[in-house]
Amino acid sequence: MDIIQMKNVSFEYQQDQPVLENINLNIKKGEWLTILGHNGSGKSTLSKLLIGLLKPNQGEIIVDNILLSRETIQDVRKHIGIVFQNPDNQFVGVTVRDDIAFGLENLQVPRNEMVERIEKYAHKVNMAEFLNKEPHNLSGGQKQRVAIAGILAMQTDIIIFDEATSMLDPKGRKMILEYMKQLNAEGVTIITITHDMKESVLSDRIVVLKNGKILKIDTATNVLKDQETLEKSNLEMLLPLKVLRYLERENIADEKVRSYLWQLSLKR
Amino acid sequence: MKNIVIGRYIPGNSFLYRMDPRTKIIALIVLMVAVFMIPREAFEMMFVGLGLILILLLIGKISIKRVYLGLRPLMFLLLFTFVFQILFNKTGPELQAWTLNYSFLNIAVIVAIVVFWMYTKRFIKAKFIYLILMIIAIITVLNQLTLGPIFATRQLVVHEDALMIGFFIMMRLIIIVTLSTVLTLSTKPTDLNLGLEAVMKPLKYLRINTEEMAMIISISLRYIPTLLDEANKIMLAQASRGVDFSEGKLKDKVMQIISLLVPMFIISFKRSDELANAMEARCFVPGATRTRLHQLFWSRLDTISLVTSIIILIGSIAVRVVT
Ligand SMILES: Nc1ncnc2c1ncn2[C@@H]1O[C@H](COP(=O)(O)OP(=O)(O)OP(=O)(O)O)[C@@H](O)[C@H]1O
Ligand SMILES: [Mg+2]
Repeated sequence: MDIIQMKNVSFEYQQDQPVLENINLNIKKGEWLTILGHNGSGKSTLSKLLIGLLKPNQGEIIVDNILLSRETIQDVRKHIGIVFQNPDNQFVGVTVRDDIAFGLENLQVPRNEMVERIEKYAHKVNMAEFLNKEPHNLSGGQKQRVAIAGILAMQTDIIIFDEATSMLDPKGRKMILEYMKQLNAEGVTIITITHDMKESVLSDRIVVLKNGKILKIDTATNVLKDQETLEKSNLEMLLPLKVLRYLERENIADEKVRSYLWQLSLKR
Repeated sequence: MKNIVIGRYIPGNSFLYRMDPRTKIIALIVLMVAVFMIPREAFEMMFVGLGLILILLLIGKISIKRVYLGLRPLMFLLLFTFVFQILFNKTGPELQAWTLNYSFLNIAVIVAIVVFWMYTKRFIKAKFIYLILMIIAIITVLNQLTLGPIFATRQLVVHEDALMIGFFIMMRLIIIVTLSTVLTLSTKPTDLNLGLEAVMKPLKYLRINTEEMAMIISISLRYIPTLLDEANKIMLAQASRGVDFSEGKLKDKVMQIISLLVPMFIISFKRSDELANAMEARCFVPGATRTRLHQLFWSRLDTISLVTSIIILIGSIAVRVVT
């Protein structure tokens, strides 16, 4: 079943400067999809269309069988959560507890349940002992974990991560990737937006965007070894696959080396 | 940047901390009205007020030093009202009169004193007392030093009313500022905000959206430290490019401030745009009903405190009626 359907979607900020053109994309329930593309290729714009922060100039978007429109925006937002890039600019509450509560207050969750959910999801992202802390006492990675807890508490079935790890150090990044894996295993549909090939390895499918158009949609393995597409969209191939390509061209790759190099690049 | 500490919440544990913020805000208003009810003629009542405040600080376990820090920025205002009264209030019996003699020598000595004060005040810790000492020194010079040709003499007459009213206004200011300091010291900003929102609820009938105002205040509270950090970073960045924020003429100062404000504005706009997106994405609709995590609970302590402050108000109204 497709949880998200984009049909012929086009968008422009200014007239005659299309940022997205004719996007057709179906995302399956429980899938992990990566949107890959160079800077300015329209990835963030696409995610903003999905949660109704922007309105497409053309085409339609269907989320969980709801056609996105002015009237249904609030319903759709109950199904999709998004974690943005900058951890500082999405922290609404004065404390961690208040911030996780923010979305719940908007959803009019009763207070008892709110308290329970805050505890539960703060534990889940290992922030339970920081509930009374203020954001300026937290690291970027911790703030990003709070943002995730805030979305998890809203219990949406789709979560978009728009370069959510790009401002974090390797340790913080690894932690967030762990949560993504866990969530996906629990059945949450995940859309990650990135230009980091290593992150895209984890997903089921990859969409390659270039200048607002879809260049390729395929399984992660197929996209990763398609050097032509990657080159066209200004993306760097993973190092082991580069080596493999060279070895194959020189005809010195045996089966053992090949499987080892693949294993290296697809290590989850 | 460090001065912002004044008026900030200091964790503690006393009945003041357990009180509902609504009670504290209403009690503050009631007590302020009580202070303004006391007429000038009954200025001795101010001592009673000061005594009550001391008792409040004592059983509320609020450190007097903190309160003094809150009062310190007011010192010059207090001195000014006092000096103003002495110079211009000429009613009531005369208390003391000094003859002030103006000669070239006197003026030269005064200029010397002022210059000396200007250069040495940075080494003196008790700046306020040092300022008062300087003023006394100037008056003494004008009064005592009579060498050389005197081209003018004036009388400095201090009247009883001037002293009394100066003292009265000073006490009034001290009591009001102390009460407000007690409120901000003992109430978390979030609670204060909740309390304000609740107290202002009647304004809804004037079509003022108090919930939105509370949201705006809470977001400002949330972003003040972040923006201060940012300002610091920008200042460092500009300093590394050769901008000197500590020295310079007025023109340079203006340029420095512009070099700080322009990037601050641009960054803040970008920030607020992203924040608005994040809030909307989390189902925030301005003006819509929301449930609240923080709820206020009225206890017996609140009833007692409120009744006490109303009794004080009635007392001061009684004083006004009697005098
Ligand atoms: N608010 C806006 N107004 C006008 N143009 C915009 C706006 N936001 C983005 N754009 C333009 O739209 C294009 C796509 O931007 P978008 O943010 O979607 O790219 P992106 O793929 O997310 O890039 P990045 O990897 O840098 O995040 C860019 O050319 C950008 O300049
Ligand atoms: Mg982006």
